[in-house]
Amino acid sequence: MADASATTMARAGAESRLTRARRFWSAAPSAFRIGAIILAIHILLALIGWVWTPYDYVARVGIPLSGMSWEHPFGIDQNARDIFSRVLYGGHIVILLSVSGTLLGVVVGAALGLTSGYLGGWFDEAMMRLFDAFNSIPFLVLALLASAVAGPVASGEPLLLVGVVALVYAPRVGRIARGAAQTVAIQDYVMVARLRRERVRDVVRREILPNCSGPLLVEFALRAGYAPVLIGSLGFLGFGVRAPLPEWGRMIAENRNLIFTTPEALLAPGIALATLVVGLNLFTDGIARLIGRSTPHAGA
Amino acid sequence: MAQAAHQSDTTSVVASIRDVGLAYWQNQTWNDVLHKVHLDVHAGEIVGLVGESGCGKSSLSLLLMGYRHPAAKVRSGEIWFGGRDLLAMSEAELADIRGNRIGFVPQNPTTALNPGMRVGAQIAEVLRVHGRTGGGEAVTARIVELFNDVGLPEPRALMRRYPHQLSGGQQQRVTIAMALACDPDLVVLDEPTTGLDVTTQEQIILLLKRLRSRHGTAMLYVTHDLGVLSELADRISVMYAGHLVESAPTEVLFDHPRHPYTRGLIGSIPRIDGRRPRDGRLTGYLDRREIPPGCPFQPRCPLADDRCAVEPQELAAFAPGHEVACRHADAVSPLVLDDGGVRPERGDSAILLEVENLDLRYGQKSLYQRLVPSALPPVVVRDVSFTIGEAEVVALVGESGSGKSTIARAISGLLPPIGGRIALRGSELAGDIGARSQDVVRRIQFIFQNPDASLNPRQSVGRSLARPIEVFFDRSHGVPRDLAERALDEVMLTADYAGRYPDQLSGGERQRIAIARALVAEPDLLLCDEVLSALDVSVQANVLDLLERLRRETSVAMLFISHDLAVVRRLADRVCVLYHGQMMQVGPVEAVFEPPFHPYTLTLLMSLPGSHLRPGQPVARSEPTRAPEPQGCAFAGRCPWQPDERCYTQPPPLHITDRDVAIRCHLPLADLSNLAGADGSLSTHATQTSQAGQTP
Amino acid sequence: MQILALCLKRTATALLTLLLVSLIVFVAVEIIPGDAATRVAGRDATEETLEVLRQRMHLDLPPAERYLTWLGGVVTGQFGDVLTSGRSVVEILAPRVVNTLILSGIALAIYFPLVLIPAIFQAVRRDRAADHALSTITLVLLSIPDFVLATFLLLLFAVVIPIFPAMSTIDERSTFFDIVNVSIMPAVTLAIVMAVYAVRMLREGLIDVLDADFVRMARLKGLSQRRVLLRHALPNAVVPTLNVTALNLAYLIGGVVVVERVFSFPGFGSLIVDSLKLLDAPLIQATVLLASAVYIGANLAVDIMAILLNPRLRKG
Repeated sequence: MADASATTMARAGAESRLTRARRFWSAAPSAFRIGAIILAIHILLALIGWVWTPYDYVARVGIPLSGMSWEHPFGIDQNARDIFSRVLYGGHIVILLSVSGTLLGVVVGAALGLTSGYLGGWFDEAMMRLFDAFNSIPFLVLALLASAVAGPVASGEPLLLVGVVALVYAPRVGRIARGAAQTVAIQDYVMVARLRRERVRDVVRREILPNCSGPLLVEFALRAGYAPVLIGSLGFLGFGVRAPLPEWGRMIAENRNLIFTTPEALLAPGIALATLVVGLNLFTDGIARLIGRSTPHAGA
Repeated sequence: MAQAAHQSDTTSVVASIRDVGLAYWQNQTWNDVLHKVHLDVHAGEIVGLVGESGCGKSSLSLLLMGYRHPAAKVRSGEIWFGGRDLLAMSEAELADIRGNRIGFVPQNPTTALNPGMRVGAQIAEVLRVHGRTGGGEAVTARIVELFNDVGLPEPRALMRRYPHQLSGGQQQRVTIAMALACDPDLVVLDEPTTGLDVTTQEQIILLLKRLRSRHGTAMLYVTHDLGVLSELADRISVMYAGHLVESAPTEVLFDHPRHPYTRGLIGSIPRIDGRRPRDGRLTGYLDRREIPPGCPFQPRCPLADDRCAVEPQELAAFAPGHEVACRHADAVSPLVLDDGGVRPERGDSAILLEVENLDLRYGQKSLYQRLVPSALPPVVVRDVSFTIGEAEVVALVGESGSGKSTIARAISGLLPPIGGRIALRGSELAGDIGARSQDVVRRIQFIFQNPDASLNPRQSVGRSLARPIEVFFDRSHGVPRDLAERALDEVMLTADYAGRYPDQLSGGERQRIAIARALVAEPDLLLCDEVLSALDVSVQANVLDLLERLRRETSVAMLFISHDLAVVRRLADRVCVLYHGQMMQVGPVEAVFEPPFHPYTLTLLMSLPGSHLRPGQPVARSEPTRAPEPQGCAFAGRCPWQPDERCYTQPPPLHITDRDVAIRCHLPLADLSNLAGADGSLSTHATQTSQAGQTP
Repeated sequence: MQILALCLKRTATALLTLLLVSLIVFVAVEIIPGDAATRVAGRDATEETLEVLRQRMHLDLPPAERYLTWLGGVVTGQFGDVLTSGRSVVEILAPRVVNTLILSGIALAIYFPLVLIPAIFQAVRRDRAADHALSTITLVLLSIPDFVLATFLLLLFAVVIPIFPAMSTIDERSTFFDIVNVSIMPAVTLAIVMAVYAVRMLREGLIDVLDADFVRMARLKGLSQRRVLLRHALPNAVVPTLNVTALNLAYLIGGVVVVERVFSFPGFGSLIVDSLKLLDAPLIQATVLLASAVYIGANLAVDIMAILLNPRLRKG
């Protein structure tokens, strides 16, 4: 046995990174692969939009609402701006806001939730009540409340949106993290660490967190997939980033009254947003299935 | 009986499994689970099918019901039952046979019974679907008859209960009644006693024997436990990695095993008389990735040569009724048993750990429970006292709910006691681990039952072993990596294991690592909580050897917690028997296995597979008749010898025998000496090999 | 007895949560930059006017006292007056809530069949082509933001095939039938968005039940597939279904906000947005607290039902 597995490991080590990546790719669920491709395209377009767009996203370029043409594939909005350029430029705003807000929410939520689940007792009880209270406010209402009470000065700041997304997500992630930590905390190897009288911080970092990384990863992907919708909804309701930044949800709201005359003005940001979320969701679905099928091989 | 049934006439064959091959779709390929399996079950016969976990025995038992996992495919063969091939039938035709002509008893009755349906309704459903009875009253009458048959009390009340209101043993009796409801020709039992306590297991086995003699139902009994089959089966088939390797009448198999695997399995069973085989113990473990095209057992076989790896072995007649799949069958000798060497005498060593009048209760008090005192969890350990000497091995023995693991948790500081004291080398230990000094924490190390859960899956073995060194010692103690490698050596693993992760290890290897991790802290006391019970028999024997060597060669003391008296007999210096959190009997190991017995100790001994009841000897009730009061004897409700009402209400007095055994019982010592019979000796044989062993 | 204790304990937790929400809402309104009196009187108001106004609005009292006074009012059904018009909050809230209740009722009526039929179908035919196809459809639908979906539906059914009104005008003269008529499109949108999520969750829950030991045992007893499903699997899947539905109610309340906006439906959701836009403190407090109370209440109801349905707590 010892010899056999030693040779297997040696063989695995000799394999190039590329071959392993290729094997992983071909074994991954198709949802994962399609999602990854869609995401890659979105990220590429967002990067392009960041450095270059056909027209400036605030420049007046032609006759308002003059319809689709080769120069203006999605037409021109009522402020005479090129919609294609605006959608392209909006990509990195949506993605950056979503990812950083989700990341902040997941980090805060995971830290609180994992500690709470491991410690139990009154701390857990208090955290749970707090999480429950925040989760009882429907998330869109909570997001609107947070954006509104920040006041007219802060409103529309991208940083505020990051904070709002994190505030909405942290207690939700906290609950999931707490549940995951609870199942890990009763494992004997955590008992062993407790029997060594290790500090809470060490137990959470060394024993709990690595064994909750699966659910937390899925949670991050899931939340990141919904963040563009949340930000878009806020934008749509008038609580998003400040004009004239072309965030997609906001664009849909701006162009809403054009629905009867030039529907492409809504369709373009709508489709951009929907495909981004489809990509993220497929990707997440794939990750969840990968993790569900077998835990990522720790030795490799 | 067995030989009679195994005549070559095919008319008595109830079910015939022929050349069956089964494969699972896993990791993008088909993996063989069963390989050309050939097995007949004759009318009125109990056939045992034995093998270690993952050998394919459960897949075979389900296939005999015409059932297979959605990801499984039958590659070859047929299963003949009632003149037809089960594997070629439609779902509707199978539904006519299942539960009707073939009954099934599942491994875990708690999950196999529908939690939302009364147990009576679950049986009535079987009767109705198969058109067995007419109206409502006839169904009820039949269920009452069945419940009486399987020994369930007050059938009419019981059938209106939900599964969670029954004990594990009662639930299993319900599933047996369900399997028998339509008077089937065959009953398939898939590990029916695995989750049950030893005394409950014994009751179920007695029930099955009685049912067979009454109804003559043929049974296929699938298990990992050869000891159970020695009592029950007429014929045993041994399975290894999806291959049948040997098939013989029970006595022949135990006395003259002809396959090295069978011989090793028999040798791995811990024996209550403390003897062990001189050679032929199983090594390694079943790894499906390294099975050669020839004999699947070749990598672990002491007799194997190069040809074994390439020549497929098929079951072939060795003697009438005895089939073996081994080229070296002639060279396999009967097991020779040794006394296991003289135990080193311990003498009276200094006291290491002292436990006095310990009372324990689960869980923390929540706010709600503080407000409502009646919501407090019940006391699980009451007034338990014992001591452990330096380098001594003390065993805590009892069934589930006896509080034995709870006591270990209290000693380790995970569960502060509500009464009594625990002292290490004379100084009292704080109840909560947070209040203990780092040095005390280091001196007491815990080893857990389940090796799958005791290692962090995301840490390499080397990291897991180095961590206690970093926590407990400063740098002057040595380089953690070197110390970790030394610890690996101590549990007989090579240094390259340090780079592996738990999912690359077998259960036995993981348990060795867990032992090594406890040893690197250089403890004075190891708390071993059922460390063998999650392991396969062959692996169990190897870990037991390791513990025995530690006992011999190091000065570490152990508190060894187990439900298995045979294992305890091999390892322990002193034994402490617990029932429902109360101490029943304590004493030196040799003395505890001889009279006088506490009634519960005797019940445990009689439950060991292979022990024989004398005719007319009283048997402990499987369910308590009534709950004793807290200060009464916990065993009172089940005890068949209880003298009177005092047992329920008054604390039993403590008897001390001249051999230093303490027994708490209301019966006088003289009566306790005669419990097992007039001559006072036990006829306990772990297996029937004893006769073979005596005449080497 | 045990059941009663559990239900009481669960109810107490719900009330505690609601209390915490009220605190969060109060604090949130407190931290709105600027002074409510200034917001009411306008920037040009004199210091004296503001002082009088502050006293009338009790803004001179310490926050803890104002919280308790407000909470006392809430318990007795008094939410104060709105800042902008001076009418009572309840007076403004009531008709909006009625409209939204009608809308939600229609949405839920469409939602249940829309969830149960595909979920059961998928679970039974797990891992077959039809299951995969439905999974893909629900995943794509799940990814379309509700306001985008609502806008597209509006485009389709009010503009391309004009069978429903594009604007939901409701006033005092509207009959119940009028309200129903304008509610259909927003309700369909809500139902679809809720259902795609629920179908996925319920499929998982059902598969767990179908994989349970007792379901296999039922087949080994010789029961037909149909009987196994109806008698053994589905009754044990009720609780997961309820849980999914409770989770969805949280969505329903948020979704109402967006969808009412798209269809210009004068309901509770658009009132929340308006109150936040105007920073009308009493109205914000009332609407947010009400939204949370609905959610907490629904969860409480589902949990109590789960306790009542749990066979393990049932007496023989």
